[in-house]
Amino acid sequence: MYPKIIIEHFMHPKNVGRLENPSNIGTYETLSKAKAVFYFLIEDDIVKDIKYQVAGCPYAIAVGSILSEYAKGKRIFELAKINKKFLEKYFPVDEDKEECINLPLRAFLNGLSKI
Amino acid sequence: MNTIIYLDNASTTPTDKRVIKKMLPFFSENFANPATKWTSSLSKLVDEEVEQARLNIAKLLGADPDEIFFTSGGTESDNTALKGIAFKHHDRGNEIISIPIEHEAVLKSLETLEGFGFKIKFARVDSKGFVDPEEIKRLITKKTILVSIMHANNEIGTIEPIEEIGKICRERDIYFHTDAVQTVGHIPINVKSFNVDLLSLSAHKFYGPKGVGAIYVRKGVKVKPFMDGGGQEKGIRSGTLNTTGIIGLGEAARLASEEMEQTESDVKKMRDLLWDKIQKQIPKVYLNGAEIDSRLSNNLNIIIKGIRNEPLLVALNERGVIAGGGSACAAGSKYPSHVLKSIGVKDNDIFGALRITIGKFNKIEYVDYVVQSLNEIVNSLRDLSPFWEGE
Ligand SMILES: Cc1ncc(COP(=O)(O)O)c(C=O)c1O
Repeated sequence: MYPKIIIEHFMHPKNVGRLENPSNIGTYETLSKAKAVFYFLIEDDIVKDIKYQVAGCPYAIAVGSILSEYAKGKRIFELAKINKKFLEKYFPVDEDKEECINLPLRAFLNGLSKI
Repeated sequence: MNTIIYLDNASTTPTDKRVIKKMLPFFSENFANPATKWTSSLSKLVDEEVEQARLNIAKLLGADPDEIFFTSGGTESDNTALKGIAFKHHDRGNEIISIPIEHEAVLKSLETLEGFGFKIKFARVDSKGFVDPEEIKRLITKKTILVSIMHANNEIGTIEPIEEIGKICRERDIYFHTDAVQTVGHIPINVKSFNVDLLSLSAHKFYGPKGVGAIYVRKGVKVKPFMDGGGQEKGIRSGTLNTTGIIGLGEAARLASEEMEQTESDVKKMRDLLWDKIQKQIPKVYLNGAEIDSRLSNNLNIIIKGIRNEPLLVALNERGVIAGGGSACAAGSKYPSHVLKSIGVKDNDIFGALRITIGKFNKIEYVDYVVQSLNEIVNSLRDLSPFWEGE
C-alpha cells in the first residue's frame, strides 16, 4: 500500500482542473498512455496560479497535488530545480514507483521551461 | 464504514467456516500420514477422509474417484496436464492448440514446451472472448496431440463451448484439457458429457483453502509426472499428501454440490443489480466480454472511460471496497491485460478496466454503497483526467 501522505493527497488532491488563461502549459505522456498536464499563470517570474490534471496512478496524482501546492507564489528559477530529491523530503520514493513520480514531475518542469 | 466489502472473488474466496471446521482436527489430532494406512489406525482414519474428499470431487465432476489426483492448486494441475501429456506423448506429434486468453499457468507452460520443440497454435477468440470450435477443427493436423481450452475465463467470465470442442477432439483421438479453475463448484460440470481427458481445479476459488487443488485424468490417459519422489497419487504427484488441504477441498466440493444452485442464483442477482445501477448512474461505462447473461454469473468486467484503474482501486479500497482489475501502473511498462488485448480492447481502455467478482458471502444490501462510492470516485477521477472532456 501507499505512504500516508500519498493517500492523503490522492484522496484530496489540491488544485485540480484547468486554468482559463494559462501563460504556460506543460504536458507529459508515457508509452502506457498515462498523462499529466500542468497549467501555469506566471507573472514577473512568479507562479500566480496553477492547476493540473493527471490520468495515472495514485502516486502521480498525489505528486501533482504536492507540486502544485508548493509552486504557488514561488519564483520559477527555484521551481526549475525541483527533482526527485526534493520529493524525497515528502515521502520515501520507492524504486517501483519512480516512473509514476516522473510523470507529473516532467509535465511540471516542461511547463516551466516554455517561457 | 469499517466492514470490508470484498468483490474480488475470482482472485480468491474466503474459506468457508464449515470447511475450516472440517480441516482442523487433521492438523494435530489426526495428523498421520495416510501412506501408512496398512499399519497404523491413525493413518487409516486420515486415509478415509482423503478418499472421501476424492469421492466428493469425483461426484462434483461426474468422474470416478480414481480419476482424481490431488495437487497444490490450479497452476500445478495446468502444468501437469500440459507438460505431462506433451512429454509422455511426443512420439505421436508435437502440436498443441490453445487460445490466447488462457491463464498464465497455461500460457507459460506452453512457452516452456515451445522451448522443447513443441509447436503451439493459438485459435483466435472473438470480441467477446469466444473461440469458434470450427477454428479448432481447422487447426488440427496429424501432428496435434493436445488441445487446451479453459472452461471459463478468469477476467471476463466468458464460458467457452467446451462440449463441442471435446467432441471434436475425442473423434480425432486428441487429448483435451480444460482449465476449469473458475467454474468448478460454481456451475455444473460433467467430464463425460464434456469429453475432457484432463481438467484442472483449485480449492481456493470455491471457498476451500489456498494451495490445494486437483487434476482429473481420464482412466487410461497417461501423463508423465514432473514431481519425482515417493510415488503418491499413483505416481502422478509424489509428495506426502496435504491432508488438511485435501480434506478442506473435499468439504468445499461437498458444500458446492449441495448449495451451488442457490449460491449461483444469489450471486447472479447481486451482480445483475450492481450492473443495472452502475449503468443507470455512471455515464460512459461499457461491459468487456460476453453479454451479461452468457458469462459467469459472478463476473462483471467494465471499462470506465477517461480514467485509470489503479487510482480507482486504491480509492475504492480507502472506502472498504476491494475489487480487481490488475494494477496497471501509471507510467511503468506493466503489461496490460493480455485477455482484454486479445478481445480487441484498446490500450487506453484496458488501463481503465475494472473487474468486480461477486461471492456467496457478499451481501446484496451493500450494492447501493458500492455504486455510490464508485460513482463519486469516478467523478473525481474524471475531473482529474486530461482525457475526460466531460463527454
Ligand atoms: C483460470 C485460472 N487458472 C489457473 C489459476 C491458478 O490457480 P492457483 O492459484 O490455484 O494456482 C487461476 C487462478 O489464479 C485461474 O483463474
